Amino acid sequence: MSLLPEYRDPSKKKEYAVIGKSKPKIDGPEKVTGAAKYCGDLKFPNMLYGKMLTSPYAHAKILSIDTSEAEKIPGVKAVITHKDVPSKKYGISPARWDENCLCIDKVRYVGDKVAAVACVDEETCYKALAAIKVEYEPLPAVLDYRHAGDEGMPNIHEEYPGNINTEIHQEFGDLKKAFEEAYYVRKDVFQGQRAYQSPIEAHCAISMWNGNKLTIYSTTQSTHYFQYYIAREFDLKMGDVRIIKPYIGGGFGGKLEPTGLEFNGAVLAKITGRPVKMFYDRADMFYHNRGRHQGTYELTTAVDKNGKILGVHANFILDGGAYTSLGIATAYYAGALLPLTYEFDNYKFDMYRMYTNLPACGAQRGHGAPQPKYAFESHLDNIARDLGIDPLEIRLVNARKPYTTTVNSFDIQSCELKACLERVAELSDWRKKKKEGMPKNTGIGIATGAFVSGAGYPIYRNDWPDASCMIRMNEDGTSATVYNTTVDLGQGSDTVICQMAAEAMGYRYENMRIISGDTEAGPMDFGAYSSRQTLMSGWAAKRAGEDIKRQVLNMAAAMMGLPPDDLDARDGIIFSKSHHHPTKWQPLTYEEVVSQYCKLYGPLIGKGMYKVHATGGTFKGAAVGTSPAYSFCVQAAEVKVDEETGEIEVLAFYDVHDCGQPINPMLIKGQVHGALYMGMAETYWEEVHFDPKTGVCLNPTLGGYLLPTALDMPKIIKNEIVDSYEIVAPWGVKEVGEGSTNPTMGCFRNAIVDAVGVTINSTPITYEKVWRALKDKKEGKQPAEIKMPPPPANAAVKPY
Amino acid sequence: MYIPDFEYYAPDSLDEACQMLAQFGGRAKVLAGGTDILPKAKTFSPIAPPQTPLPEILVSLKNLEELKKIEYVPGKGVVIGALATHNDLVNSELLNKKYMSISEAAHQMANNQVRNRGTVGGNLINAVPSADLPPILIALNASIKLVSVDGERVLPLEELFLDVCVTCCTEKEILTEVVIPDQKMTGSNYIKFGARRSGALAIAGVAVAVEVENNVIKDARIVAGAVAPTPIRTKKAEDFLKGKEVTAELLEEAGVIASGECKPITDIRGSAEYRTNLVRVLTKRALRKAIDQGHV
Ligand SMILES: Cc1cc2nc3c(=O)[nH]c(=O)nc-3n(C[C@H](O)[C@H](O)[C@H](O)COP(=O)(O)OP(=O)(O)OC[C@H]3O[C@@H](n4cnc5c(N)ncnc54)[C@H](O)[C@@H]3O)c2cc1C
Repeated sequence: MSLLPEYRDPSKKKEYAVIGKSKPKIDGPEKVTGAAKYCGDLKFPNMLYGKMLTSPYAHAKILSIDTSEAEKIPGVKAVITHKDVPSKKYGISPARWDENCLCIDKVRYVGDKVAAVACVDEETCYKALAAIKVEYEPLPAVLDYRHAGDEGMPNIHEEYPGNINTEIHQEFGDLKKAFEEAYYVRKDVFQGQRAYQSPIEAHCAISMWNGNKLTIYSTTQSTHYFQYYIAREFDLKMGDVRIIKPYIGGGFGGKLEPTGLEFNGAVLAKITGRPVKMFYDRADMFYHNRGRHQGTYELTTAVDKNGKILGVHANFILDGGAYTSLGIATAYYAGALLPLTYEFDNYKFDMYRMYTNLPACGAQRGHGAPQPKYAFESHLDNIARDLGIDPLEIRLVNARKPYTTTVNSFDIQSCELKACLERVAELSDWRKKKKEGMPKNTGIGIATGAFVSGAGYPIYRNDWPDASCMIRMNEDGTSATVYNTTVDLGQGSDTVICQMAAEAMGYRYENMRIISGDTEAGPMDFGAYSSRQTLMSGWAAKRAGEDIKRQVLNMAAAMMGLPPDDLDARDGIIFSKSHHHPTKWQPLTYEEVVSQYCKLYGPLIGKGMYKVHATGGTFKGAAVGTSPAYSFCVQAAEVKVDEETGEIEVLAFYDVHDCGQPINPMLIKGQVHGALYMGMAETYWEEVHFDPKTGVCLNPTLGGYLLPTALDMPKIIKNEIVDSYEIVAPWGVKEVGEGSTNPTMGCFRNAIVDAVGVTINSTPITYEKVWRALKDKKEGKQPAEIKMPPPPANAAVKPY
Repeated sequence: MYIPDFEYYAPDSLDEACQMLAQFGGRAKVLAGGTDILPKAKTFSPIAPPQTPLPEILVSLKNLEELKKIEYVPGKGVVIGALATHNDLVNSELLNKKYMSISEAAHQMANNQVRNRGTVGGNLINAVPSADLPPILIALNASIKLVSVDGERVLPLEELFLDVCVTCCTEKEILTEVVIPDQKMTGSNYIKFGARRSGALAIAGVAVAVEVENNVIKDARIVAGAVAPTPIRTKKAEDFLKGKEVTAELLEEAGVIASGECKPITDIRGSAEYRTNLVRVLTKRALRKAIDQGHV
């Protein structure tokens, strides 16, 4: 593409002072020395501890709750049930608010909230909870999403007959015609598992009131959404709700919505007049969940002789769990993002997200996209094999080109997918390995991915700016503080925002400070989700930085007697671009100019904001998946399989990213390594297990739910970025956070299949599954086929 | 996550400890490294009640220095004190020299923090089927000593285990030492199969010890873990090997026989069928390693 040749020509690239460099993390020293205080570390005078009583049944009527014994226990300061909390339903996806602070008449999963207590210490909480008597009438439970919609199944929510939470039917182009004219059509069905984000830090909220003003310290990914939804629940003005985010130990999508900890903690704090700290333990986290949806994914694809995709039908069903959480968006994302990486003109997407009596699923890194993408990348490899085409070549044939529009109306500007494919092929020696073959039981797989750099529309409908930022210079110019409400979950957004602000100001990163995540200190920003902060919050920071710089240059111009246009700033030095003289027009420092400014005019403040331009089509659900820009990436994995045990060893991993222009290469690497860690484990280990009869979680511990350790990471990890520049983004940036999980499961699956020549269509691809597939193959048995469940009886549209 | 209140004693001598246990009866339990007893007693949330509630009283053995030693006693063998930690096993020069396979087995356990605290005695008395030390210790014909106010008794380690988490060590008794007698065995080895490289419990584990002379197996002991309520010796496979010349087929066949002797269960970590297969594969591989590496 020749649209912006000056950006694409590396020789013409500007040399930046702050961005593009692996600056150390701004919060590194605090975190590694333990000085950083997380929500769980905080204590306040008179603070009480709170815990919730949860349901032991997957589905039951609440007949009565007797709290009288619990109230008598010394140290118990408050016991609440649904009678004490607002009955207004809450949720995060506005179209389906279906959750109560405490259940009123029914519990809908093992772990559903029934009562809560506030006590002088944690131990007393457990005593109080044990003394609460709840009478239940157990109801038949819906524990298998594939049959949740069957005729005669119990109904979980009255408002949603047939247990259908979300139903989607979208069609673009003429799929029927594409299938008729195709050279080859293949159908595959894949299955994914329930996974959980497992952030290191458990959820925690400390609520306190001052008159009618509510302050909550919380482990949140979005202070704004917490402020908005909590104000809504309690009929408060947003200005009367202050959300403060201390350091956060990971979220991965699981901390985007307020929970019972905030809602019930606020009520307990109001009743007792004391601060109340509520927190999850590891098991509570698994029950609260909001992790990856499990689903069954049927894909039918038509191709021509060369493997060029003509049309795709995606027919999916998801296990949503007992509540909506962010699941409507998940359901839309599952189909919406599939057309990003490959160009095709005909597409049909059918989806049912089912209610079940299991913990609610939500947004986990890659939100809705990773499992469908795994399915599609596996499916594409199957097609390539059938046609005798190299998996790399079929991807090159179909790879998206820059400045194109997807079949579902997403506008793509920058896109270096082809370059990523070629570079991964080089790094991994793909073509040589394919030509000469690999040692027995070793294999290599490749997959592509793409992701939004921030959702085009906010979660609840509003027209506030997506991001805003304020910068204040310390009066003597020796430091600058960024005020915003972005959320650094560990990914490094505080660092990147400060780098961008410093670059825009012509100032030094080392002198930047940031106060993020306090709704009373910083202007509104929607927070950390949909991989939005580098692009969106980055725009706001850049513009705020430029605002500072403009004022500083104006001041300096007056001090130097030169026109402001002739001045520039870099590394904290303000200098004339044209006048170089040994004694006159000497450069000034930020310190000199800012001091002078503040003495004359008071505070030196810069501000900036960003609002996404109108994006996407007009069909139902068109908003989900829109974004100002899309990242692209390609991964390849080399694995070795132990034939006799099915054990998988990862020999090497390759990742090449188009994430626009990099701000901090070290942090990009961190994201890619983290995504590999998560994706690899979701491919063959991680699964939240439930008792199929009771809905009790069988492995809600870190000993039962295995995450990789350092020893399990592949020894060879090569990752690179390709040259790319995104015109709608500040300095051409794009996301690298969630997108990097998209290809991972697919490339691992494809590598395993390449190594041993057996097909396994469900994740996790456990060692046992690999062993069994090999055994079946040896014995000439057909692998067990995964069937697409029939559409729910109550479906409005039945596509098949 | 909290631990309920309990009474705590840390006696200064073994005698005193035994007296306390006799006095407190079933109300007390021994505390060694605490890596089993304490996490199991923690309430993680109302929804995850403790697996095994804590007894009223804990009697800590931490002051009994003499139980921490690993030493060679001529005529007896290598004596491993019950309070030796997993990392003591990993780092003991004596074990590295005489029974490397014990150090290696210990190194595959848990993680460094737990290996610093967890003890041999705790691992044996806790008696979960997936415990990593029993197979290799039984393969090397270890005996144990149990001491109480009534006196002491010595018995083969394999007789300790009665059922899942049940041993013949009474509430009054303290396990004081594990003894590895002098060996005729020429090689030994333990292979643990867990889902990940660190900190995962065994889905199956097999330890073997063999005496090989001129490529003929004179004696063999094979012990499988995590595939029955207790660690089990697969005696048919042992007998099958004796007197036979080592060939790949022989080891393969021994694996098949051993796998027929285990009685695994199906749980979320693996099906019974898969575990049975693992016993076959691990037995074969452990034998091969024990024979080839030529040290115990
Ligand atoms: C994260 C983690 C990972 C683990 N991984 C592994 C693993 O990979 N492999 C494995 O085998 N185990 C593993 N374990 C279990 C545990 O660490 C070991 O079983 C350890 O050896 C227990 O020893 P301890 O001293 O901590 O026992 P404790 O918890 O102190 O005691 C355990 C039991 O034994 C009794 N007891 C202890 N010592 C004596 C004695 N001398 N006489 C009589 N009774 C006694 C106690 O009363 C108690 O009932 C793991 C544990 C954790 C927490």
